[in-house]
Amino acid sequence: MNLGLYIHIPFCKQKCLYCDFPSYPHMEGLYESYTDALCREITGQGVLFSTNQVDTIYIGGGTPTALPAPLLLRIVTAVKENFAVTTDAEVSIEANPGTVDGDTLTALRAVGINRISFGVQTFSDTLLKRLGRIHTGEEGANAVRIAKRAGFSNINIDLMYGLPLQQAEHFQQSLQIAYDLAIPHISVYGLKIEDETPFACSLAQGKLSLPSEEEEETMYDRGVTYLPQHGYERYEISNYSRPGFSCRHNLKYWHYAPYLGLGAAAHSFINRERLANTQDVRAYLECINSGCSPVEHREIADEATQMAEFCFLALRTNSGISYHAFYQYFDKDFYQKYEQQITSLTARGWLQQPDNQ
Amino acid sequence: MNTSHIRNFSIIAHIDHGKSTLADRLLEFTGALSAREMENQVLDQMDLERERGITIKAQAVRLSYTAKNGETYMLNLIDTPGHVDFTYEVSRSLAACEGALLIVDAAQGIEAQTLANVYLALEHNLEIIPIINKIDLPSAEPERVKQEIEDVIGLDTSGAVLISAKTGFGIEEVLEAIVTKIPPPQSDRNKPLKALIFDSHFDSYKGVIANVRVMDGCIRPGMKILMMATEKKFEVAEVGIFRPSMSSIAEIGPGEVGYIAASIKNVKDTRVGDTVTEIDNPASEPLPGYRKVTPMVYCGLYPVDSVEYDSLRDALDKLKLNDASLAYEPETSMALGFGFRCGFLGLLHMDVIQERLEREYNLTLITTAPSVIFKVFKTNGEILEIDNPSKLPVVQEIEHIEEPYVKATIIVPNDLVGAVMELSQEKRGEYKDMKYLDVTRVTITYHLPLSEIIYDYFDRLKSSTRGYASLDYELIGYQQSELVKLDILLNGEPVDALSVIVHRDKATYRGRLLAEKLKDIIPRQMFEIPIQAAIGNKVIARETVRAMRKDVLAKCYGGDISRKRKLLEKQKEGKKRMKQVGNVEVPQEAFMAILKMD
Repeated sequence: MNLGLYIHIPFCKQKCLYCDFPSYPHMEGLYESYTDALCREITGQGVLFSTNQVDTIYIGGGTPTALPAPLLLRIVTAVKENFAVTTDAEVSIEANPGTVDGDTLTALRAVGINRISFGVQTFSDTLLKRLGRIHTGEEGANAVRIAKRAGFSNINIDLMYGLPLQQAEHFQQSLQIAYDLAIPHISVYGLKIEDETPFACSLAQGKLSLPSEEEEETMYDRGVTYLPQHGYERYEISNYSRPGFSCRHNLKYWHYAPYLGLGAAAHSFINRERLANTQDVRAYLECINSGCSPVEHREIADEATQMAEFCFLALRTNSGISYHAFYQYFDKDFYQKYEQQITSLTARGWLQQPDNQ
Repeated sequence: MNTSHIRNFSIIAHIDHGKSTLADRLLEFTGALSAREMENQVLDQMDLERERGITIKAQAVRLSYTAKNGETYMLNLIDTPGHVDFTYEVSRSLAACEGALLIVDAAQGIEAQTLANVYLALEHNLEIIPIINKIDLPSAEPERVKQEIEDVIGLDTSGAVLISAKTGFGIEEVLEAIVTKIPPPQSDRNKPLKALIFDSHFDSYKGVIANVRVMDGCIRPGMKILMMATEKKFEVAEVGIFRPSMSSIAEIGPGEVGYIAASIKNVKDTRVGDTVTEIDNPASEPLPGYRKVTPMVYCGLYPVDSVEYDSLRDALDKLKLNDASLAYEPETSMALGFGFRCGFLGLLHMDVIQERLEREYNLTLITTAPSVIFKVFKTNGEILEIDNPSKLPVVQEIEHIEEPYVKATIIVPNDLVGAVMELSQEKRGEYKDMKYLDVTRVTITYHLPLSEIIYDYFDRLKSSTRGYASLDYELIGYQQSELVKLDILLNGEPVDALSVIVHRDKATYRGRLLAEKLKDIIPRQMFEIPIQAAIGNKVIARETVRAMRKDVLAKCYGGDISRKRKLLEKQKEGKKRMKQVGNVEVPQEAFMAILKMD
């Protein structure tokens, strides 16, 4: 089976107030050595997976484009030299609109990166400021234009709803701007206040004015109706795309396909096992440089949990659960295994069974 | 012992006026227990009693006191339950005595509960010794309280004893007053045995232990006895006294108090108020005043987990061994499955039983809102007694409904009379009487539906009078009322366990309130849940529990699906404390929501 590669760049210019992902600002001094270590890990893992074809690569963060272009080029080159990357592979990179310029994007495109994902979040300056983002709305739109000029046709932007002070109208405007920019892929995420973030702290102190649930739902509903009306298919609960532009790498997460994570805090799913590298950048460097494994957690779930994962992940996508894929994977009949649940959920109208599956 | 040296007495007091503390001091002073052995409030044996500061079961202790005149007396202290639920038990305990200590808090004065019990004691011609307690408090006003006792009850307070049970001040004076003022029992050893059962409890080694006061004759081991009301016969295995621990003796003589054990398996056979006599030489008639106690308040008890049904039945069986007033029978609810409909003497009794089931028997229960017994007169002439609102016949078959009424006596400072009247009026009360106890305090009498009392009358009374009001009530009979059944529908399905019977005028208001309350209690689920309140087919209120927030819509970074999985696990965990009613998960509190509405 083809393999997906996830490469984590745990750096950013400034931590957003809602973010609890493993990403760290003010680590410019480690950019060089992190790239070295990452390339070593890529080389080492490449040997182990030499028989696999790699058809998707996703460079995520943090802000991968926080790294200077030459370092990014080294990473991509290392991957290509050590893994069997297919010619039509989807190669994505995440970027912060405040960290890109035409030259960098042209260079990235030239090295084979063919998909770019901007964390735009919203086009409203007031809201962006409130989120602690480093860019303006106009910079967000401009990043998309620069990417297009640099030769990217497969572009995503992330949009968020449920932001502090956000109203349904703001969100609607952002959707409209995204549509007007002819962006082929849009991810729409709801803001979730995670523990131990500055937002969680403000919320506890009563200083964060979040939209009411009703308003939040209104925004959600706007996204769910606006985008399909404008030619975007909702192929996963948070992801919308023009035909042919769904993100093949992310679909691997939902389709229970294998992926290998590289870099600090990267997660892998290989041979039914879930692995996670240490989140601590310095610990990661130490492990790699001393020839140890950076893997901190590994778990093979029992089969019942695996099946449950298979189902709930698949149900996030519009293609749903595949009877055949389930059978192939677990050697079990889906209908027999979940007869009771299927009956009860179907009766409630929550589950549908198309004739052809 | 010669009856002239016996004194039988009980203590009458309002909650917190110091009854248990005084009892402790009396035990301590007479050496029944050394100070070192004393655990505060020895007589309140159950943990629950100690925690709540109330007495649920009557206790009897024998003390030996050498008075100032040099003579030694046998004092039998019969502790009485101090709650309105147990009025009958109190009356039987008083019937076993010749005198009573009336404890009144020197700062608080007389309360409704005290008054009710004093009247009971006077009915039994008891000699009452006023004791003014807590005179060490800075706010103590013993003279005012004495005056109040004279004005309200008409007792001579010239001999009132001023004490502080807490510090031990005045305890000897109390004992002297008991000896000099309370008359000795008028009992005759040569008459046929007559002994009054004033309490009983189950002991796993000896069977039922009945506390008795011998009126005439005496009881000895080996004697064949007859319970005159239940007509059960037993052979006495052991007699004894509490000092306060159990110790067996050769006989309980005339005028004395003690316990009997006779291999009795069930407390039902030793009913409080029954008369014990000797089979070979029976008394011609029983002692007066016996009645069979009947539950006043009913509710459904259901195990959250249906596998606990058998354990619940066993636990109820065990509690019943000790508590003849507890009634229960199996019941099935569409919503809650298999459980029991249980009858209690009152709300406190209900609370205590529930708490014991959960605490001592480790059960997790769902309790439905308490209900009284309604008498339903059907158009076909049939009369039904309904203890479960869901069993009310359809409107077309009902000619009229009657509900139990109580006479409620409320004592309150005079500036709060307005609040009490307003509340009582709102609760469908009929004003009966108002009297000034003294210049500042008033006693008000209302006739009120019992269902309003168990609904929230007492809590509201306490809050609208800043805790100053005290309440006592007694059942006076049934009256016709315009009652309707209020149903609750969740997701379009009626939930039988949430039905209540309410007055027609209040149905809409309560329906709306209940729907609102349930909206807050029922957690969001995967779908929208309409909550409707309906009378018959007419929906009078509607609320909606919105569907669950779509937490899964947050970003999933870099293939880390663990957060998504945690959400599912969290959901699963939350379901454990819920009862599945149709498609809807309903938490326990929902079934009591009707009682907790402001």
